[in-house]
Order: sequence, then structure tokens, then C-alpha cells
Amino acid sequence: MKLGVFVSDFQLSSDTLERVKADKLGLIFVQNGVYHAASKVNGKASSLLDKTTNLYALSDDIQIRGLKDADVDKRVKVVSYGDVVDLIFSEYDKIAWL
Amino acid sequence: MGDVKLAFIVQKPQYKGETSRLAITHAISYQTVEILLEDGDTVTPKLCFIGEGVLGLEGKQNAMELYGITSTESHMKNTLLVDLDVLICKEDLAKYGISESAMPDAEDMGADKKIQIVPFAEIQKAMEEAKHVLFF
Amino acid sequence: MGTLTIGCFPGLVGNMTYDFALKLADAAVTKGHKVNIWFSGNATGSVKAHQKHLKDYSTGEKYLKALIEKGVEICTCEACTVARGIMKTEGIEGVQWNAMHWYLAKIHASDRVLQIGGE
Repeated sequence: MKLGVFVSDFQLSSDTLERVKADKLGLIFVQNGVYHAASKVNGKASSLLDKTTNLYALSDDIQIRGLKDADVDKRVKVVSYGDVVDLIFSEYDKIAWL
Repeated sequence: MGDVKLAFIVQKPQYKGETSRLAITHAISYQTVEILLEDGDTVTPKLCFIGEGVLGLEGKQNAMELYGITSTESHMKNTLLVDLDVLICKEDLAKYGISESAMPDAEDMGADKKIQIVPFAEIQKAMEEAKHVLFF
Repeated sequence: MGTLTIGCFPGLVGNMTYDFALKLADAAVTKGHKVNIWFSGNATGSVKAHQKHLKDYSTGEKYLKALIEKGVEICTCEACTVARGIMKTEGIEGVQWNAMHWYLAKIHASDRVLQIGGE
């Protein structure tokens, strides 16, 4: 399955993301999930960035936190709400909110 | 359009929050959805519990006596009465030291259906077979 | 164009996930997609009309009305709503009230479903 997952927290409360298998996995960082894309802990980037090459972070949720698109890890594509809609309909057949 | 298969994945424990309980009651509502659908159309959820979602499912609960609310145990019995497929992750029960025999059944209410304790791979399969996956 | 159904459970006040759901719905309907929103749990507290907008808190009413104007179908779980002391006569005009099977029926006809749990 092609699964697009919304990640809305920085500290994940479950290991679901580690367990679910997908032929194509996309991670869409929103709300506090954008810290996976735009911050490091003790100098180390989030391990989620190694899970797939399909990584996105919502621009509005980056900017509301005083972060800049330039702060985002190079592996992550900064997207708008409209882009998220296109991802939902065009790139993934199932979507999940974790 | 025929049947639409859904996978309901519960990953939060019962009782503190409402979401994990709402997953159960939303799944049960598949029984009456046909009044809003065209003839021949159906929705078939599989109700799956993983991670901390396996907490709070044991039998012998006292929710009504202590807090005046319907117990999760009662809702779980209702899932069996309406013939829902209920899958509980075997590895996660073991992880939290919960006996498989502690899971309730609804034999006393006349239900033949049983809760299924399955490896996570079975729940993964349910997600793949479903048109939509709903995490609670 | 497709159909997106969003199940939104988090409350309007104290959680910006609700705002996310509405903004996503707006983006989808603006692109020409059909959108349905199901409110359950704490999200149902948002369907009461005449909300006062204090700027430290998100507001739902004007955005819900705008979405309904654009053709988004919005329905609140009646049981969850009355449990929070809100009666149908107090609700925002255009918001539907129904039982959980409304959500499943909309899912049946949807291309994509985003279920956003609460808490």
C-alpha cells in the first residue's frame, strides 16, 4: 500500500510508525511534527528522516513557530496546504494521522 | 459500489481518553449504516488493537459501579454481538503481560463470535486489504 | 476531482489540530474536491453558535460557515454534542446532526479518509 502518514508530534507516543510496512511511505510533518524536519536533538537529526525519501513539512506550521523554510533539513520538501491536498489524492492511496 | 472494507486501528488505552472508546462505538455503527446507503452497499470495519491500545480491554470491569459509565468490556461484548471482526495484537498483549484468556467474550449474551488474538502481521494485512485506514 | 472525508475528534479550544482539519478542508474544496467533515468527541463543542472570539483562542464558527458556503458537508455527532450541553437549537446553521453511521456512510463514498483522533 501507498501510505501517507501525518506526524503531528515531536515525541511520538507509540511505535506504530516503526511497525507499519508500506510499499511507499510518505511522512507529512505538521504541527509539532515539523520539529522532526527543522530541529536537531543534541546535534542529531530525527531518525524519522531516515525512514523514507518522501518527506514533507507544512510551511504554515513551520512559520507559525518562528522557524524558516531554510531551517528545514534538505531531505524534506516544504509544502503548502494545497500541496498536501495533492499529495493525499495523487501520491498515496491511504492516509493516516499518528 | 458494494462493500468498503475499513481498518480501525486503536493505539491508545481505554478510559483516560475518549478516542479509543469512540473507535469501538464508531465500528459498531456499521450495523446501521445501510439506512444511509444504496441497496447492496455495505461498510465492513475490522477493529484492531495495537500498542497501548490493548490496555483496558480485560474482562471483569466495574465502570458502571465506580464511575457510572458503560464499561469498555460491555462495548467489546457488543462488537461481538454485531459480528464485528475484532483483532488484538498478540505481541502487545505479551509485551504488557496480559493473559489472552483475560479478553472478554459474549457467550453469556449468545454471541458465537470471539475476539481474535493475532500476530501484528495479521493486523498489517487488515490495513492492506482495507480501502481506508483509521487510526484512533 | 475526488472526495475527502475528515473525521475530526480534537476540541476547538486548546488544540490546534482542529484548525488544521479546517484549513485542510478549505484547501481541498478550493481545489474542487468534495469534502465532508465529521465531528466527534471534543470537536462537537465547536458547533454551538455565537462563539465569542477571544484572540488567545481559535475560533470555529466563521470558518465552519465559510466551508458550508463552499459546499463542505459538516456533521456533528449528536450524542457527543448533547453530552456537552449543546442542544440542536443552539447549533450553527447548516451543520448537520446525526449518528456515527453518517461518518461511515460518507466514508463509503470517499476516495480518501483522514481520521484525526482526539487527545
